[in-house]
Amino acid sequence: MKFFNYLLLFAVVGAVSLTSCNTGSSKKGNQGALGGNLAERVYVAPGEHDEFYAFISGGFNGQLAVYGLPSGRLFKVIPVFSVDAEKAYGFNEETKPMLNTSYGFIPWGDLHHPDISQTNGKLDGRWVFVNENNTPRIARVDLTTFETEEIIEIPNSAGNHSSSYVTDNTEYVIAGTRFAVPVPQRDMPINEYKGNFKGALSFLKVDPETGEMNIAFQIMMPGFDYDKAHPGRGKSHGWFFYTTYNTEEAHTLLEVNASQRDKDFVAAVNWKKAEEYIKEGKFETMKTNYAHNIYDEETHSAKTIWEKEVKILDPSKLPGLVYFMPMPKSPHGCDVDPSGEYIVGSGKLSANVTVHSFTKMLEAIKNEKFAGDAYGIPILNFEDVLAGTVVQPGLGPLHTEFDGKGNAYTTFFISSEVVKWKLGTWEVVDRKPTYYSVGHLMIPGGNSQAPFGKYLVAMNKITKDRYLPTGPEVTQSAQLYDITGEKMELLLDFPTVGEPHYAAGIPADLVAPNSKKYYKLEENKHPYATLSEKDTKVVRDGNTVHVYMTMIRSHFAPDNIEGIKVGDKVYFHVTNLEQDYDVPHGISMIGANTSEMLIMPGQTETFVWDATAEGVWPFYCTDFCSALHQEMQGYVRVSPKGSDVPLKWSLDDE
Amino acid sequence: MIIGALLLLALFVFPLWNITLEAPQYPDPLGMNIWINKITDQEPNDIKNINLMNHYVGMKEIPEHMPEFDIFPKVIIAMSVMGIIIGFVGRRGLYVTWFVVMSILGAAGMYDFYLWEYEYGHNLNENAAIKFLDDQGNPLDYQPPLFGTEVILNFIARSYPSTGAYFLFSGMMLSLVAFYVDKKEEQKNEIT
Amino acid sequence: MKSLIYTLFIASALIFLGACSGGTDETSQAGAADADILKNTPKGQASVVDNESAPNILQVAIGSPDHTTLVAAVQAAEIEHVLVNAGPLTVFAPTNAAFEKLPAGTVENLLKPENKQQLATILTRHAAPGSYAIDDLKKEARKGRKLYMATGDYLDVTVEGDDVYINGIKVLASIQTSNGIINVIDEVILPKSE
Repeated sequence: MKFFNYLLLFAVVGAVSLTSCNTGSSKKGNQGALGGNLAERVYVAPGEHDEFYAFISGGFNGQLAVYGLPSGRLFKVIPVFSVDAEKAYGFNEETKPMLNTSYGFIPWGDLHHPDISQTNGKLDGRWVFVNENNTPRIARVDLTTFETEEIIEIPNSAGNHSSSYVTDNTEYVIAGTRFAVPVPQRDMPINEYKGNFKGALSFLKVDPETGEMNIAFQIMMPGFDYDKAHPGRGKSHGWFFYTTYNTEEAHTLLEVNASQRDKDFVAAVNWKKAEEYIKEGKFETMKTNYAHNIYDEETHSAKTIWEKEVKILDPSKLPGLVYFMPMPKSPHGCDVDPSGEYIVGSGKLSANVTVHSFTKMLEAIKNEKFAGDAYGIPILNFEDVLAGTVVQPGLGPLHTEFDGKGNAYTTFFISSEVVKWKLGTWEVVDRKPTYYSVGHLMIPGGNSQAPFGKYLVAMNKITKDRYLPTGPEVTQSAQLYDITGEKMELLLDFPTVGEPHYAAGIPADLVAPNSKKYYKLEENKHPYATLSEKDTKVVRDGNTVHVYMTMIRSHFAPDNIEGIKVGDKVYFHVTNLEQDYDVPHGISMIGANTSEMLIMPGQTETFVWDATAEGVWPFYCTDFCSALHQEMQGYVRVSPKGSDVPLKWSLDDE
Repeated sequence: MIIGALLLLALFVFPLWNITLEAPQYPDPLGMNIWINKITDQEPNDIKNINLMNHYVGMKEIPEHMPEFDIFPKVIIAMSVMGIIIGFVGRRGLYVTWFVVMSILGAAGMYDFYLWEYEYGHNLNENAAIKFLDDQGNPLDYQPPLFGTEVILNFIARSYPSTGAYFLFSGMMLSLVAFYVDKKEEQKNEIT
Repeated sequence: MKSLIYTLFIASALIFLGACSGGTDETSQAGAADADILKNTPKGQASVVDNESAPNILQVAIGSPDHTTLVAAVQAAEIEHVLVNAGPLTVFAPTNAAFEKLPAGTVENLLKPENKQQLATILTRHAAPGSYAIDDLKKEARKGRKLYMATGDYLDVTVEGDDVYINGIKVLASIQTSNGIINVIDEVILPKSE
């Protein structure tokens, strides 16, 4: 028997050495002589920190995940538009209002495009803005707490895809309509779409101190599909550019019917002009109803404000507000280079990548050289605004980012590759395959005036055989490339949670020092906060019972509660009294029809428990908090309806 | 001499002693500053967290108030005032006397500190959740070092004088310097 | 006994290690492993081994004895990955006979490495984004729409009797694959001379 064990070991070691042999030499074959140190270049030693944060959207999982680069390690999944049982987001009483909309409480969202706040066109690391595509919303994630602080619903909009990008000084974060709809919504035949449906472009003003958003105005555009957007940078600051498709205004089988025209448009919106028109009062006020949800860090609670109106600008009546630049074949990506001069449109069905010039656009506008108009909005001549074309770089161009050194990087979905090309000369410098079918790509700061052109992350839609299989559904993934050299080098594949739709990256030293360690108890303004054990109590109000509970290593106070009766609705308001870094406690209770709570030091959270049956029911700490975590537990005694067991609570029988 | 005596008053502005506790879970050590009239956090909530750690092994909480906090300030003020008066009087012999008295008081203070540390580290709650025994099977004690570095279970405890103590030493040294300078002056005078 | 096995074990491990360091030696660059990789270049989606799912356009083409020239051309142009992409894609697949109709030497010339780009363009002109089987093409013809190809060209779609023609070339059959449609044609689609 023992002998066989040895043999087995022998065989395994042999196999391992053989395999490592193969990888060694195949790396060499693929990467050349320099390829040997790939592992070193993504290795972050135990205890060391990554150089960059990457905020990678989870797409259809409705969340935003935080990774480190170059290691690809996952740090946190921030729930934004989807409930998260792990963190009680959308389950506890405090965060439920965050998911309110005019359609009611919505437990899921489709999160697409993170964008980090900027000052003077440079990343400032204060907030990440993200959009929800399905039920149009924009959210703001705070980068001191890494929590969702605000969600605002976008009225008159559908398929909120061309968002949530920020201007040079985070003056605005924008939202745009991918699915044109009747505005205001009404009952009408679908085939009367043409000319009747509208596409609203929304501008949300951001408070420079608090980050709080409000919808400053909406520009009511023709019923095209507004796909992607990018603010002007530097010289084009004050403008916003949107790609459009379905300028055919088809309402069915868009696959064919929205692909008929040779060119669609890039809409150039002069938002400084819009501000003037607002100031001059040239807007209409439209009655509407949408949710504005704000989480307060001091009350540890969210509240919903119902907003009732929005200002509308009509571009067909307001000259100088919007111009259309023709762009070949259903453009998808709309990207502006760091100088603000070049507007890159990627016609996903086009064989070329087309680049327009901001200077030429201004010139054409000044000379009033128009090819015509669409719904009263002037159309510029394609040739007048064209800066250049990258000829046949690949198939299915989607998105472009920049390295700040004069290079652009475009993803190609169909030919599954990233292509590096030069701004100005439009020549292809390098191409590297992705595994497989890449969508967005991200260079930290790569859509700002000051990119950090060291790494490029490609986000793939398909992985097939790249990882160990896990049944029909396999992991999603991102890939890291080194872009410091003339040629790109693939360094690392790493799995992601959800669909890695788009991402925003930032040097860690712009964010890490501001990260909060715990919430101060003396700043806790939660209406049901209990700031010390001697203030714990249980209060009855009819059939409702409020438990003011505290938690600290390693007990709850109180941990014995009696006098609860069948039919009672019991609110557990639990405050974590710890004031120490990384000591959250959790709590849940048998039969609780909600998630666990994960309560940070100094925080108060609330869960509801329905007392449905007589008995003595335990609760316990759900987060391994300390050496005596297993002892952190307690009981609630539930007596029959109408019994005279008095309300009583205690810890250590005191 | 007067300066030396005045330096004592720095003890009201700076802590006398500093104890820190470092552990894998606390790469930024927990710490407390010991003053002549109080004990404070090195970083906010450090004492709270030290107490939380220590309660598992039955240690008492770090007191917010001790009788010493009343006595020490009075002693220091008295010694400082006395030193200033001596300075004005300018008698060399008194300088040395002051230094000796101050040294005795300092030693007494250290001894008192040691007694408190002993009590803090040995007098444990019998119902403590975790009880450790030493090699001989006796209950382990958790007394922090009086001066220096010591490993206590998973913690590295460091106990060293703080800014206030250096002012105190300097003050005491100055009284000696005053003594010698005075002596030299006198010798010079005698020679001439 | 035991010690003998240990010795053997260690010795074999050493041999394997030795082989390893030999593998990274500069002189063995053109070894067997490298040759294997070159064969698969460019490695990508086309190299995914999957014999369970419904076959995709590339796999169907490879399996067709009438399309060996087309497959050889696709491999020479290194555009295999395009044909295994999620699609949907419609490929007009000229048969071997279609390639033989071209002037003598044309195919041989295009297969030369220096003409890779030209070959890729010619082949890409045979692919259209979207799914267009014969019945769909008939609808396109009825609605008077042209067919947009991946190169940006437009092809005329016409119907005569029961047959569909693109740029005058008859579509012989439609084959459904996992990522789109193969329409078999017996002529190579060349750019219209204007």
